[in-house]
Amino acid sequence: MKTKKLLSILVLILIISMAYGTYNISLSDFKLSDKNNSYLGGLTWSRSLDASLLKAQQENKPVAVYFWAIWCQYCAKFQSETLGNPQVKEILEKDYVLVAMDLDIDRDVARKYGVSYPPYVLFLDGNDKVLERVPGAVDANYFLPIVTRVRDEVRGK
Amino acid sequence: MITFGNAILYTSLVIGSVALLGLLLKDRKNNDLLTKLVSPAILIVAGLLTFAYLLLTYYFITGDFTYEYVWQYSSRDLPLIYKISGTWAGQPGTYLLWVWVIFLSAAWLAQTTKHATPLTRRTQIITLAIGLYFIVLTLIQTPFKSIYEVADVPLGFVPVDGSGLNALLINFWMIVHPPFMFIGYATMTIPFAAGIVYLLTKEDGWEELARQWARFTWLILGMGIAVGGVWAYVVLGWGGFWAWDPVETASFIPWLTLTGFMHAAALHRKNKTTFSTAAPMLSAVTFILIIYAAIVVRSGLFNSVHAFGETSTGTLLISSILITGVVSLVLGMRRYLEEPDKVEEDKGFWNKTNIFYVTLLLFVILAFISFWGITYPVFIQLTQGFKVNVASDTKNFFNVWSYPFAILLMLALGFCLNYKESEKEKQKKTLFIVAALSIITMFLRTETFYVLDHSSPFWVREPSIYKLLGSISVISIFPSMIYATAAIYQYLSGYLKLGNARVRIKGIGIAIVHIAVILTLFGAIISSNFTYTNQRINIPLEAKGVLLDVGDGYGIKVVDYSTRSLTETSYSGTTIAEVLANPSLFEKDVTISGKVTNFNSSGSHGTLVELDDNSGSIWVVFEGNVPVKLNSGLTVSGRIMSGFEKPVLIVNGADEFDASGKYQVQSVQLEVYKNNRKIGSGVAEYLQGKGGSGTFPMIDPSITLFGGDVYVIFQGVGGGAVPITLKIVPAVNFAWLGIILFAVGIILIMAVKSKSSGG
Repeated sequence: MKTKKLLSILVLILIISMAYGTYNISLSDFKLSDKNNSYLGGLTWSRSLDASLLKAQQENKPVAVYFWAIWCQYCAKFQSETLGNPQVKEILEKDYVLVAMDLDIDRDVARKYGVSYPPYVLFLDGNDKVLERVPGAVDANYFLPIVTRVRDEVRGK
Repeated sequence: MITFGNAILYTSLVIGSVALLGLLLKDRKNNDLLTKLVSPAILIVAGLLTFAYLLLTYYFITGDFTYEYVWQYSSRDLPLIYKISGTWAGQPGTYLLWVWVIFLSAAWLAQTTKHATPLTRRTQIITLAIGLYFIVLTLIQTPFKSIYEVADVPLGFVPVDGSGLNALLINFWMIVHPPFMFIGYATMTIPFAAGIVYLLTKEDGWEELARQWARFTWLILGMGIAVGGVWAYVVLGWGGFWAWDPVETASFIPWLTLTGFMHAAALHRKNKTTFSTAAPMLSAVTFILIIYAAIVVRSGLFNSVHAFGETSTGTLLISSILITGVVSLVLGMRRYLEEPDKVEEDKGFWNKTNIFYVTLLLFVILAFISFWGITYPVFIQLTQGFKVNVASDTKNFFNVWSYPFAILLMLALGFCLNYKESEKEKQKKTLFIVAALSIITMFLRTETFYVLDHSSPFWVREPSIYKLLGSISVISIFPSMIYATAAIYQYLSGYLKLGNARVRIKGIGIAIVHIAVILTLFGAIISSNFTYTNQRINIPLEAKGVLLDVGDGYGIKVVDYSTRSLTETSYSGTTIAEVLANPSLFEKDVTISGKVTNFNSSGSHGTLVELDDNSGSIWVVFEGNVPVKLNSGLTVSGRIMSGFEKPVLIVNGADEFDASGKYQVQSVQLEVYKNNRKIGSGVAEYLQGKGGSGTFPMIDPSITLFGGDVYVIFQGVGGGAVPITLKIVPAVNFAWLGIILFAVGIILIMAVKSKSSGG
């Protein structure tokens, strides 16, 4: 009886510390989004499309709208390999207004633009005109030229 | 307005309450007023619910779209089998299935025990209470709700067609997965009820009552989970059968605690004081976790690929969890504190009860890891509004934390199975050696074989605890696995020598189930670590018939590409064949429909249109110029002019309909080559329909155990190219074999009737 009691207490301590530890690690390291922003692929994305379109108009930058979902297996890969690519990341950070749309929440926005699955990147200009669509978890070699071209197109106007 | 189906449910509720009341009167007041009515009442309710389920099935088969549920999950063009499986496609139908099976088991309890003992009576009271609760849930989300209650439509309006079944569910595995799960959920009711009664009153015999039901639940739930895995493998294109998706994980958790329960019960059976708290508690926890799983599946809160949307009965389910949880905990604690501290001599740590207890704790720990991993992100989301992930990649969390305990479980398996008090010292020595080997092998360095993938881009940024556990070499699973295998072999050969057939068969069954554990685990580890993936292949449509090199020595040839409709369109009216066979019969009035295969407009004189309904074709004549499209569907009525060489139909009225079918399938026929030698061929499909799309990968399975399945995912033609992901998945056959053996083993165990059970 004593041994079992001891074992139970040991397991209880183990479970509680594991639960507490993982809870805190997630809050510090694996936060995906809060009220205003999403943190995906090492970039900070706004969660408001309207505000971002306004900002794009003022700054004459294109908008990159990234449609994602927490359960999407390919999104994680796309974020780390494609969005995490240093060149892609630099261009997105400097020359784009970034918006992330959560497919579990922003379903109406997805429907409006005909986006049916994640990952999906939509490039818009400040007037809400669709410049380019990139569906699926494409790799950086494919993504980089598009990001560059769309940026130059908007700058050239 | 109460529909017929709801009337049946209300009647069941009333009659079921009478049965419950009768049992309560007998049990509390020893009043026999209603006792005679109890068993017949339970049988009647079981019959009524059977009828209700058949009625629902009938509505689906005949396509009665005046019922919202039928309208939502079915449509005319679905094949019969999917019309039937539509009954369990949504929550209302699964509640009905659930409650039906609860009352079937209550009927079994009534028939076999006649409620002769206080134990059976009380078990039935709890079973009925749960059953009635579920009838109420079914009534709240009833599948028998008519559209007139939901939508603003005139009475008597009948929708032409239903909205159709989600494309991902149109698949054989999805026909069998939900009924397995929900039948398994329902059959856990009696073990739960019996366990609670035991906690309350310490009445003997609860374990006999619960045993077969628990085994049956374990089998059905296990198969349901396995079928879900097969579905993920053949439909979702995950390239694996287990991805720790919240919903599949949620159904796995009660299965783990149920496995724990069965181990506890095995010892409790032999000595009633052993695990007298742990065994009933594990059965209670399993039942609670089953309700939790039901919430996870349907709540829409859990971030899963199974997004089924929110429900109105969620709060009721959550309150039932709270009630059963608090009751079980209080009873368990009371029982635990009441238990006299045995002052018998302390046998030390190494005795059978203690090491079995370690095994039980391992099941609880593994269940907790899974539970926590799917729960706390939702908790954070609800309380703080943040979305968090459990790890850089969801599956990492579960793999990292479960892995050390999987090794411990293998060690426990190897040690417990042949444990003998007399050989204790020798067996301990072997265990220590294997444990030491496991620890040493954790440090072996290989290229990729680690708990976490070192080549993943996440690796460098992992938090330190994940880096630490993630660097464990997976080679460390093998010492314990070999040890466990040897133990099972020894156990099996011991039983094979026995003369008593009953005992022998049971021993074989137990050995097979444990072999199954090892095979499944081995298949999962090897297939997930050594899958080759190339996911960026785009084959231009023009390259049809040409072998294209796609890298790493692999080549792919698109042999053919085609698009078709999943289901044949059904045409209303008289068939064209009937008209052609006897045209003179239809000279006055006839309605036919068909697909436009040809037309000829001669200006203002009229339009000639050829209609085909698969039984034959006929030309119909419209007056004037009518715009028609090729391949569209037309329903026309008019009269036949039979004087011509071939009869023609002169049209009075026409109506266009969609003849393209709701479910479009694109398919590519492929051949896969490795170093110019063909290694696989088959068809990969992409289905588009209601509720999105589904991929049906090409899987050319390998016949050998170690060989790799050639696995090709096709995601629908885009931009003139065929986008393809190629995977070679090795050793997955071990897992399938393991799953089959799980079933074979437990069926053998169930087939052997235990001496004391009598039922």
